[in-house]
Amino acid sequence: MKRILLFGIILTAAAALAAQTPSAEEIIRQMEAKSSPETSEVEGRMVTNDRFGAKETSFISYAQGTDLSLIEFTSLEEEGQKILRSGDDLYVYFPDAGRTIRMQGAALRDSVMGSDFSYEDMTTGDRGILDDYTAELKGSESVDGRDCWIIGLTALGPNVPYYTQDIWVDKELLVSRQVYKYAVSGRLLKTMKIQEYLEMDGYLVPSRMIMEDKMKRNSSTEFHIERMKTNVSFSRTFFSHRELSR
Amino acid sequence: MKLTNLAFRNMRRNLRRTILSTTAIAIAALCFVFLFSLIAGMKDDVRTNLVNHYNGQVRIRHNEYDKYEQLNPLFLGIEDQTAVTTAVEEALPGAYVSPKISFPAAIYLEEENLASLGQGVDFEREKVFQNLEDLMVLGRLPEMGSNEVLLTPGLYNDTGVTLGDTLTFFTQTRGRGANGFSLTVVGVAKFPVQSFNKMTFLAPLDRIQYYLRMGDSVTEVLIRNVEEDGRTSAALLNGIFERRGWNDITALGWMDIPGGVFGWLAMAEQAYNFMGLIFFLLGATVIVNTTMMVIFERTKEIGTVAAMGMTGKQIVKLFFLEALFISIIGSLIGVILGSILTIPLGNVGLNMQDAMEGISMEVSGIFYPVLSWGIVIKVFVFSTVIASLASFVPSRRAAKINPIEALRSE
Repeated sequence: MKRILLFGIILTAAAALAAQTPSAEEIIRQMEAKSSPETSEVEGRMVTNDRFGAKETSFISYAQGTDLSLIEFTSLEEEGQKILRSGDDLYVYFPDAGRTIRMQGAALRDSVMGSDFSYEDMTTGDRGILDDYTAELKGSESVDGRDCWIIGLTALGPNVPYYTQDIWVDKELLVSRQVYKYAVSGRLLKTMKIQEYLEMDGYLVPSRMIMEDKMKRNSSTEFHIERMKTNVSFSRTFFSHRELSR
Repeated sequence: MKLTNLAFRNMRRNLRRTILSTTAIAIAALCFVFLFSLIAGMKDDVRTNLVNHYNGQVRIRHNEYDKYEQLNPLFLGIEDQTAVTTAVEEALPGAYVSPKISFPAAIYLEEENLASLGQGVDFEREKVFQNLEDLMVLGRLPEMGSNEVLLTPGLYNDTGVTLGDTLTFFTQTRGRGANGFSLTVVGVAKFPVQSFNKMTFLAPLDRIQYYLRMGDSVTEVLIRNVEEDGRTSAALLNGIFERRGWNDITALGWMDIPGGVFGWLAMAEQAYNFMGLIFFLLGATVIVNTTMMVIFERTKEIGTVAAMGMTGKQIVKLFFLEALFISIIGSLIGVILGSILTIPLGNVGLNMQDAMEGISMEVSGIFYPVLSWGIVIKVFVFSTVIASLASFVPSRRAAKINPIEALRSE
């Protein structure tokens, strides 16, 4: 009788513990909801470090939801260049070319302004992570003293830049702390470490992160957000590719 | 009777055989003249292409540029190219000077991006340096200060543009940022270098400096029309650079460029010499074979002259003289005919463009054989010596045969 009672207690405790640990999908959903304000305007800079030194690029970016974003570069060398993401489409505008170009195919793998970010890294579109990947809770690990879940993502189809990803999600804040991105072969392609978050209107937006393209030797790109505004109103045509040249 | 007269009489008596031997030697000598002239032409061609379109006779670059060349290090340029170019022109009056920027670029097309290699050049200077006007096959040269581009045939075909169309290029800037710019196609030039014609475009230096945010810098300054190896000029320029404090740039004679084209040229020369040797040996085999056949056929005749009292030494000498005269006549006819064939081809050229398609070397599609007295004398002497010596072995053997056995032979 005692044994049956003990087994019942263990079973109940395990069930309670399982109920406290959200599923991988739930963690991803909460993380996404927490980091994407409805509209935003951000001023920031990218610092790319490689064997030849550091290169700084400043920009202003505008976003509406998860499917519309516009980055306008403000540093002297790139002044006036723009990158527009509208759903799955990516457009680039170069003032010197005087035309807007839709990036597609192999060009999407090109580096953005010589950084460790590729255009492909910016084309997740309006789909959430779970639209493209299956998620699996792989365990827990501490990253920079923060207790994190490790979520493994595996692509559902071929139309994603990385076949698998591992995301370390902060258990307390439900934000990602670190992401490893892999090729189909299992080769590590990129790592991203989020070092700081900016809290605004209940959202936690990554304000300082480092991306490393493992295909480049001694290269990393620091991404800094200097200033951020939420609840920004945009005109109906603000995110139109026809507006880029204006 | 003197052996010389006897040798001539033998040649006349066996006229058909003499003509056959002479023809074989003449054909071999003709082929030698043509092939050696062709090889000399190819060597000249490689040297001219390297100097005119790649390195000049002297090349000035940033000291670190070569080390990182594969990474397109535009920031390792010659900073104040105007001052450097002026200094070069003052130091080397009469030299042709070509400042340029070489950079990779992707051409944006609707469905794909096409890889290309760009050159920002001063077209006024290139008219002299590369004889650019002579290379035009369509349209005209771009004007400095304009957003115009000159394509090579490969790019012209691959992009499917026509004159007046605009192409958009993506590239990296000096600060390792990105930029895109559009240029209007105004002309097509065909270079004598096949690899150049595949993916190269040329645009005004001043516009490329702006688009690549280069300021007044260039990636290299090339110099031509100085002494052959460029070494003295390079040393003179390096002295000037040192005095002016331009310690980050160095001038090199084209033969001293490390891991560069001179090494390639030396390798090519060895390959050509090897090819020449093979042809020489093949030709020599034909000559030796013909001469030996003729002597073996005449064993009975050897027996007759031996029976009449001619010594072995005299027999060898007789056959040697006969072979020598035939060789001299054959070689002479061969080098004359070879020269007659080669001289006009040296002007017209031998079109090998289809055969060279896809070969990425500094060799032109059209080869111009270069005939020289050196080749003519070398081939004449070689053919004569080989053919004459070839008679020694069989005639010595024949001279040792018992006259009775020789007379019995068929």
